[in-house]
Amino acid sequence: MSLVLPLLAVLLAIEPDSSINSAKSFEQIDKEADAARAADRLNDAVNLYREGVRLRPTWGEGWWSLGSLLYDEDRFPEAEAAFRRFVLISPKTDPAYAFLGLCEYETRDYDLALRHFRSWATAGWPGTPQLIDVAVFHFASLLTRDGEFVQALYLLATQAAKMGENPALTEAMGLASLRIRNVPEDYPPEHREMVWLAGEAAAYAAQSPHDFARADYYADRLLSRYPEQPEVHYLRGTLFTFESKTAEAEREYRQELRISPQHVSAMLALVNIDLGNNHLSEAESLAKRAIEIEPKNPEAHHALGRVMMATNHFSESASELETAKRLGPDVASIRSHLAMVYGRLGRQQDAKAEADAYLSLKNHEEVLAPQENKVRHASVPEPPK
Amino acid sequence: MITIALLAFSLTVSEHAMTCAQTRVAAASAQISFRQLSEAADRARTENRDDEAIRLYKRALAVRPEWEQGLWYLGTLHYGREQYADARDVLRRFVALRPDAGPGWALLGMSEFQTRQYSRALDHLQRAMAQGMGDRADMVQSAFYFAAVVLTRLERYDDSMSMLLRMSSLNQDRQMLIEPAGLAALRMPLLPGEIPEDRRNMVRMTGEAVVSLQTQHYEDADQKFKQLEAAYPNEPGVHFVYGAYLMQLHPDDGIREMKRELQISPYHVLARVRIAEQYLQQEQFDQAMPLAQEAVQLDPRRSSAHMILGEAYVGKGDLTHGIKELEIARDDDPMETRTHWDLLRAFTATGRVDDARREKEEIQRLTTQAAAAHGAAENGTPGDQRAPN
Repeated sequence: MSLVLPLLAVLLAIEPDSSINSAKSFEQIDKEADAARAADRLNDAVNLYREGVRLRPTWGEGWWSLGSLLYDEDRFPEAEAAFRRFVLISPKTDPAYAFLGLCEYETRDYDLALRHFRSWATAGWPGTPQLIDVAVFHFASLLTRDGEFVQALYLLATQAAKMGENPALTEAMGLASLRIRNVPEDYPPEHREMVWLAGEAAAYAAQSPHDFARADYYADRLLSRYPEQPEVHYLRGTLFTFESKTAEAEREYRQELRISPQHVSAMLALVNIDLGNNHLSEAESLAKRAIEIEPKNPEAHHALGRVMMATNHFSESASELETAKRLGPDVASIRSHLAMVYGRLGRQQDAKAEADAYLSLKNHEEVLAPQENKVRHASVPEPPK
Repeated sequence: MITIALLAFSLTVSEHAMTCAQTRVAAASAQISFRQLSEAADRARTENRDDEAIRLYKRALAVRPEWEQGLWYLGTLHYGREQYADARDVLRRFVALRPDAGPGWALLGMSEFQTRQYSRALDHLQRAMAQGMGDRADMVQSAFYFAAVVLTRLERYDDSMSMLLRMSSLNQDRQMLIEPAGLAALRMPLLPGEIPEDRRNMVRMTGEAVVSLQTQHYEDADQKFKQLEAAYPNEPGVHFVYGAYLMQLHPDDGIREMKRELQISPYHVLARVRIAEQYLQQEQFDQAMPLAQEAVQLDPRRSSAHMILGEAYVGKGDLTHGIKELEIARDDDPMETRTHWDLLRAFTATGRVDDARREKEEIQRLTTQAAAAHGAAENGTPGDQRAPN
């Protein structure tokens, strides 16, 4: 008795603690949540979806809607939790990986975000055009942070060609071009001017059609402002390479090596130029240095393989190219050179197999690039009912 | 009587009812706990025990996640302790509940500025400015400042400069405006904190000249512009700034400086627009035309380039092309009254009476709107000024 009376006193004193009547059926809540969302009563909708998923934790549509609403309000930690539940229980989760990646990016869980963006890309970049644009941008920023500068630039360049001038894209391209392993939100402020100038150069070069004149203007400004900074000459050389100005490119790559003696990409770029100019001795020495510095870099072995082929050392060439293939199994051009060298060695069957692999890989080489056909046929990010 | 009846009822409750009752008891203890926690949190806050207040607000919010006042104070406490990411996350929850609270948007925008999410910061600061921030003068000043510097960072230099000039005319701290004004005038998309040390002097000289001009210290401004041009004759942006200043007083000298800018910055769109505009004023349409065409070619999205090109066509008597360019300018920037005036005259000249009338109505609407906005600005911040409590 003595226990019951205080209980009653409490029962009589408390206020209703929720706007949602717990006696409501799941079906009612589902209906009301959708109605609240349609009427733009977003807080009500969030609360109703929350209640819905509490009553039925396997309600995929509820988790999706909850995640989407919270995402739209920039409430990323909460949205992330909802999307995480969604991907655990729903059979078709592809666009959700993009949202999950975006939320994780915002909560600075960068490694996980990158993993989820990769899953999304592997699934064929599904989503609305807006989602794809936002996700590709963040994916690329994370690739830069992860040191995948070429892939990052490839993605950003496709965006730049589509969107034209855009300060956020410019900044992301600047970071990737200068090989600064940071996302735009966390690089050192003193690098801002350099990143901006590099980004402008890269962005104009990526326009469709290419605006090399303006790219050169910004690249020259960058060079005159920061002539001794690592990566600046390499970027300038890369632009010259795009413009087929080989002599100027060579000069810049050599400048980069003066400043950054361990710069493998500059070495490999010079190997390429040397091969074109038949300067095979230097090419061999540079390729070997590159391998010494980065023994697991497929392009370094690829370069040495090409040099060996050019000097008629076919067995050594095959050996290097096989190493390159092992390290970079999806690089089409390695297969093409391997096919050539097998041909020289009279290994016709192997040559044919590599040629076939080349043809098959050629169309999928840029596995991270949003291929137009994939984008065009991508499903809209609607949850499974 | 009721109590006895309830007591009798409670003694006969089923298991299900007991479960419900237990749930409600839990809610009740949560209610009590919430009250205790919230009071303790408020007390800790008013006694400047910030760490404890933060801990208590968090606990109270775990019990009642939609407690607006708790979210607001927790957000302000995090902000005050420079825990900007935490402040941002809490304030996002707050504004979701109170989208009408200008100060909430302002503090959110400032937090996002600190976490370097500039685009979002700008959106939210602008929302705060549109809604008003009550009598929080410091917050108003900060919101304007952050919005202005973010506009420059996002390469919206003209919008930034407009805000900075407005701030300087409202007697805001002059020193605070110098570097932002210098960056916007030189069209460098940097925050003041991102200025390289070897650039700071140039930026400051530019800013001082611009602010002096705006605050009507003309002799001082003149001297500073000259010093700037002499000290940095080869730096991008300097001749443009000097030229823009001279254009008002000595148009030919202004044109000369703008042309020097084009030698240094061959893709400078606005320098072309300003020279072309000056030629139009002098009715030298043939000289204005190629510059305006180049400006449009270099930056097809710049409405002022289309406007000037349209004016050049109209000046030369080519109303068809003129109207086409002016319509592009109007559609890109419907708030620009000058384009509507241009179109009004062009439509009238071609006998397009209805179109002319529409432009006239638009001019009247924009004029009224501008007057209202000016009045509101003079009286402080516009809009709903309710502060969270």
